Amino acid sequence: MPILRESELDIMSHSPEQTQRLGARLGALLQAGDVICLTGDMGAGKTVFSSGIGKGWQAQTPLTSPTFNLVHQHRRAQDNVILYHLDCYRLESAQDAYSIGLDDILDGRGVVILEWAERILDLLPKEHLWIELKVRDETRRNLVLEAFGKRYETLLENFRTQAFGV
Amino acid sequence: MYILGIESSCDETAAAVVQDGQTLLSNVIASQVDIHAKHGGVFPELASRAHVEVIHPVVEEALQTANITLEDIDVIAVTRGPGLVGSLLVGINYAKGLALAANKPLLGINHLEGHVYSLWLTQPFRPVVFPVVVLIVSGGHTELLLMRGHGDYQHLGGTIDDAAGEAFDKVGRLLELPFPGGPHIERAAQNGNPYAFNFPRAKRDDSYDFSFSGLKTAVMREVSVQPAQASKRQRGEEKRAQLRRDVSVNDVAASFQEAATSILAEKTTRAAQAYGATEIFLAGGVSANQLLRAKIRKETELPVRYPPLSLCTDNAAMIASAAYYRYQSGLASSLTFDALPSWYLNNDTYNV
Repeated sequence: MPILRESELDIMSHSPEQTQRLGARLGALLQAGDVICLTGDMGAGKTVFSSGIGKGWQAQTPLTSPTFNLVHQHRRAQDNVILYHLDCYRLESAQDAYSIGLDDILDGRGVVILEWAERILDLLPKEHLWIELKVRDETRRNLVLEAFGKRYETLLENFRTQAFGV
Repeated sequence: MYILGIESSCDETAAAVVQDGQTLLSNVIASQVDIHAKHGGVFPELASRAHVEVIHPVVEEALQTANITLEDIDVIAVTRGPGLVGSLLVGINYAKGLALAANKPLLGINHLEGHVYSLWLTQPFRPVVFPVVVLIVSGGHTELLLMRGHGDYQHLGGTIDDAAGEAFDKVGRLLELPFPGGPHIERAAQNGNPYAFNFPRAKRDDSYDFSFSGLKTAVMREVSVQPAQASKRQRGEEKRAQLRRDVSVNDVAASFQEAATSILAEKTTRAAQAYGATEIFLAGGVSANQLLRAKIRKETELPVRYPPLSLCTDNAAMIASAAYYRYQSGLASSLTFDALPSWYLNNDTYNV
């Protein structure tokens, strides 16, 4: 876990289960308004990591691939916050994003996970957590987490403490 | 009773007239497959715009073919979810306008329940003795349900990651086959060896859940050249694995199809036995897959029902049929409901 910069965290996950557990650690820390961007090839583990976030956040419904419907909504018992889980792969234009209600989704009241976030770079809020998943071999994945903005530096710091105790 | 059904949850704009839940009087589908094929998937803005353009003529044609006027329709039914929100809203708003203008009751119907009722449109219709196990497999859904009566569903399992049809689409894309992946993979598989690759069957456990993400990843590892990992990529840079030129697309397609269908067949037949089902029902686009049908028939003594090919994929007749049974059981008409893009099917489905 080399610490390159305070705002960046580089982790090696050795299995899908570990990737999911890391997601759960992050999910437990999320608040309304948080935006989590995921990028990586098909099969890199974006949905696995997202399903972990859902578990940690205590979503009442399991997070599955949003590829087909583009947006899935999840709720939890303790409050009225909505967790939005998006797949941006097929969003080609601002009109596409508008037609799935991205403006409303990013209004700061929900938690938002965006897979294939690089597809809509121009439409993302400036502040967010950027996570790249890279395939190392059959089961190992390299996760690089980068914080953009104060809130996300704090979030990353808390995540580091939770996950690694340092 | 005549019900006009309207469906626009994804890439098909459809309208149909069904009499008494079982008799198909018309079934009109304007498919957007051609529009989306060149992009390798359904694009939301394109989809909702295309729905807007065709919904009126599609409904008109459904009424004309059924030789009925709007005045003689008893109930209007429309898909309320799950689906793409922009696409759903086109159908819902059109149906609301129609219901208001013609002063007809309007029901918002669950798309998955629609797929279940595609089985009631199979001719000749044999009465159903409950309980039955229903496997809904499509691009967006993989649901294994125990149906104990009309509107009475127990969710037994579903996908924990990718839907079955989504796996077909994604593997199709990897193999550079046209969209949608399902029929093209099935065709390529006919000339391939299903045992050339031993792809993993995920979740071979006691649950009735499915997982297709690992299978998709295994196929990808087998057939693609990974992009170079050495240098740090620019943020936002497009990354795409390349198809290896020395693999047989037919063998990969056949081996993938073998893996995907065998786990579906195994769990579906096991559930049918465990819950004392009298029959197995298959629905959704992937239920058109001949290997899946053959495997299920082989693994069970129970009768297996599937809809005619034209009713496997999204259509409005199934929405009208589901609405008939919902109307009988007292679902109230409403002109104020909104779209539910993530709407699960269980016993509380209509308590929203």
